[in-house]
Amino acid sequence: MTALAERIALIRRPRPRPATIVSYLVFATLVVAGIWSIMELSPTSVSDWDKTWENLNRYLTSATPMVWPGFTSDKDALGNVVITFEGWDAVGTFVGHVFITLAITIAATAFAAILSIPVAYGAARNTTPNQVVYAICRAIGVVARAVPDVAIIAFLAYLWFTGGTLVAIIAVGLHSVGMISKMYADAIEQTDEGPRTAVTAVGASKAQQFWSGIVPQALPAWIAVALHRADINLRASVILGVVGVPGLGYDLWQALHTTAGMRRSIPLVLIIIALCILFEIVSSVIRARLLGVAPTGRGIGDTVVRGAMHASAKAADALARATDAVAERNARIEAAMHRPWTRERRQTTTWIWVGVAIVAAAFVYAAVGATGDWCRVIGFQCLAFDPTGDVGTTWAFQWIGWRFDLIHNPALGFSVWPPNFGSRDWADVLGAVLVTVQVAFAATLIAAVVSFVVGPLSARNVAPNSGVRSVFRGIALILRAIPDLVIAIIFIIATGLGAQAGMWALAIGGVGLMAKLIGDSMEEVPNGPEQAISTVGGTRLQRFFSSTVPLSVPSLVSHTMYMLEQNIRSATLLGVVGGGGIGFLLINQIDARHFDQVIAFLLVIIALVVVVETVSVLVRRAVR
Amino acid sequence: MTISGTPAVRITELGKTYPGATNPALSGVSLTVGTGEIVVLLGLSGSGKSTLLRHLNGLETPTSGSVESLGTDVSTVTGRGLRELRGRIGFIFQQFELVGPLTVLENVLTGSLATLRGPRVGLWAYPRALREKALGHLDRVGLLERAYQRADKLSGGQQQRVAIARALMQDPELLLADEPVASLDPESSSQVMGLIREIAAERDLTVVCSLHQVDLALGWGDRIIGLRSGEVVLDTPTEGLTKDQVMEIYGRVAVSTTELTAIETELAEVRDQLLSEEMRKAARERNEQDFADEGPA
Repeated sequence: MTALAERIALIRRPRPRPATIVSYLVFATLVVAGIWSIMELSPTSVSDWDKTWENLNRYLTSATPMVWPGFTSDKDALGNVVITFEGWDAVGTFVGHVFITLAITIAATAFAAILSIPVAYGAARNTTPNQVVYAICRAIGVVARAVPDVAIIAFLAYLWFTGGTLVAIIAVGLHSVGMISKMYADAIEQTDEGPRTAVTAVGASKAQQFWSGIVPQALPAWIAVALHRADINLRASVILGVVGVPGLGYDLWQALHTTAGMRRSIPLVLIIIALCILFEIVSSVIRARLLGVAPTGRGIGDTVVRGAMHASAKAADALARATDAVAERNARIEAAMHRPWTRERRQTTTWIWVGVAIVAAAFVYAAVGATGDWCRVIGFQCLAFDPTGDVGTTWAFQWIGWRFDLIHNPALGFSVWPPNFGSRDWADVLGAVLVTVQVAFAATLIAAVVSFVVGPLSARNVAPNSGVRSVFRGIALILRAIPDLVIAIIFIIATGLGAQAGMWALAIGGVGLMAKLIGDSMEEVPNGPEQAISTVGGTRLQRFFSSTVPLSVPSLVSHTMYMLEQNIRSATLLGVVGGGGIGFLLINQIDARHFDQVIAFLLVIIALVVVVETVSVLVRRAVR
Repeated sequence: MTISGTPAVRITELGKTYPGATNPALSGVSLTVGTGEIVVLLGLSGSGKSTLLRHLNGLETPTSGSVESLGTDVSTVTGRGLRELRGRIGFIFQQFELVGPLTVLENVLTGSLATLRGPRVGLWAYPRALREKALGHLDRVGLLERAYQRADKLSGGQQQRVAIARALMQDPELLLADEPVASLDPESSSQVMGLIREIAAERDLTVVCSLHQVDLALGWGDRIIGLRSGEVVLDTPTEGLTKDQVMEIYGRVAVSTTELTAIETELAEVRDQLLSEEMRKAARERNEQDFADEGPA
């Protein structure tokens, strides 16, 4: 026996793998930094809690009774609130605001989807002409992701001719290029090289290789990415109201800044949430129609469409193709020149044209219709003049163009260059960055802790029965449907808490996404080991901890890093609506038109995002 | 079969070493293929057949020596000139390499890209005359009624026939085929090999085709060139050769019985792979069906 013990003592323990060390480090860092952040952000005294409670009560009192769009509230002689119907015109105006929000979202996403193609071409390893172009295109993506669209809007409105919808389309579009071009490039890199080589071998040029060999393969992924980004842009469009872009976001922002308007806020929030859910369902239907496959996405829309397609799948009929064997060869070819209008082709064509029409209508409506001043949209100003006095009015255009004189104009007291922190020093700025990072860490920790319960319980192979699984799937689904910015705005205004309210808003939204990701990756774990543990008599819980969890650690780490990355960007935006941190400094200087300082803060934000994305990529590579 | 004028292919002392590799993929290969010849490159996998073929249309650049195709030194032309040369050389791949999501017809039309300027998206981007021609080629390979189906919905043999139609679209003077039937079942194999031979006869084409099956090579080509470890070890006309003689020659190509066994093993492996691929596919479909039946999440 001693021999065995000696031999056991002699076994050399291998050094732990880097992946293991990195995984432990990630979780340890998240827990330590998260708890510290929560403590830093939380109110410290009982009176603070009282004040929060008081604020919340006051908000609820002033927000009720609710005033839905089309209605107006007034106080009668006794001081009671009376709600009266304003008439259909008011309803019409509100519907116009819904349309303008949708139009900006669709037009901006379409703009970004097209703009991203050349960027992705340069940013994909297998198509890029050279290393320099590759680096530039990847950098364009990082910067576009890091710079919030509100900053671009304010900057364009300052240097260009006007605020309003066209600037919003351009700004949201440019910002979206960040995410879309990266995912487009990933899709290009994942295409099969073979068909492209074949197209090369027939003597095709570079452009022909790209459009005939690569694009057809990447297109389904591209469509899915663009539609997904449209969902995100609709959710984020709320924040555009902060810088005065017309639409639902502006309505909400206005409502929250007047006493009488407060009553409109809750109905507006409910309408925005409903709109987001509806939009997701519609975009999911379009995706399913265009790609002709059941959606595999994680949104509420995909889930609904999957259900609907399942129901109609059995009704699908096979298409009989009649061929005339005796027909003359030329006649056969002539007949084949006309592509048959099969049911499938009719449907696809219809959906493509509906999509094109919607995008075109969105552009026209958002850029022209809503401003009512169509010639201004391209940087010209309309001048009415009447040269002879009797032929009627003739329109002439005058270029008003760019205000480059504003880039540096000491006389006006503000300039664009050189960037500086104004009255703040590095300590202030780094303090603000720290708050942003704290919000992200705290929100990620809370979301992770809750998701580590909700996620597994929504996995088929972990949940005790399908009832439990459906309940937790449903919880995650509903939480995902709620736009976190809307929740954040309400929280921040209602509780007066700033960063802490932002933390909770991000945490709630985070649970929805992370629980789904965890649940999915646990279902993807190979089930052999699980069966092995069951056969040795292990309980459900033992099976979970001995097989499911160890096998899904790499994806858990990867999802956590993704969440953290996402939350850093969202925390910056939350500052814009009053959540504190670097975003708060940014919006203050945007409001004051101090663009030299805006640029300085943007550079800080870009640096922060670059650091976080780099760490995230390195960690994910290490655990893979 | 007429051999006259300038040869279709003239290779002089061709050597190729891939960056990072210790052994050359090709060394000191010299051979000439006359216009109208039907040549089989015979050899094991890794013997340099694909590398040699890919030099003929400039998909690879030689480390040493020179390659002349259709009277043009391949390494001297670039850009437009190279594309024009490639346009005159058809190439058939082992894995067909069709653009899966496109229709069969559009795949055939991509064969005409060298004659067109600028990128083409969609059927209507190609001139009517070309569409008619493409349909004619599809009819020739017997797949006219599949013209508007997605290319990846076709079976392997059908996809290879579409690839042949794509090569025909180029009106090639030289047809290169790299293991065209290695991924196909025996029935589709003979169909595809027969088709290539027929088309070569119809158009007086020069064909260079790489294969690893002796019996297929024997019945099919006019001349066999054996490759081993990047070197030419055999170059003989097939006329009058019996199977035993070829097996004896192939023994010389393979040098040892170990290598002959290796060929057999390799073939068995490919068959197994195909079979298990089929089984996996069926299993996956079954799983998807099960999942769909269970209803949405």
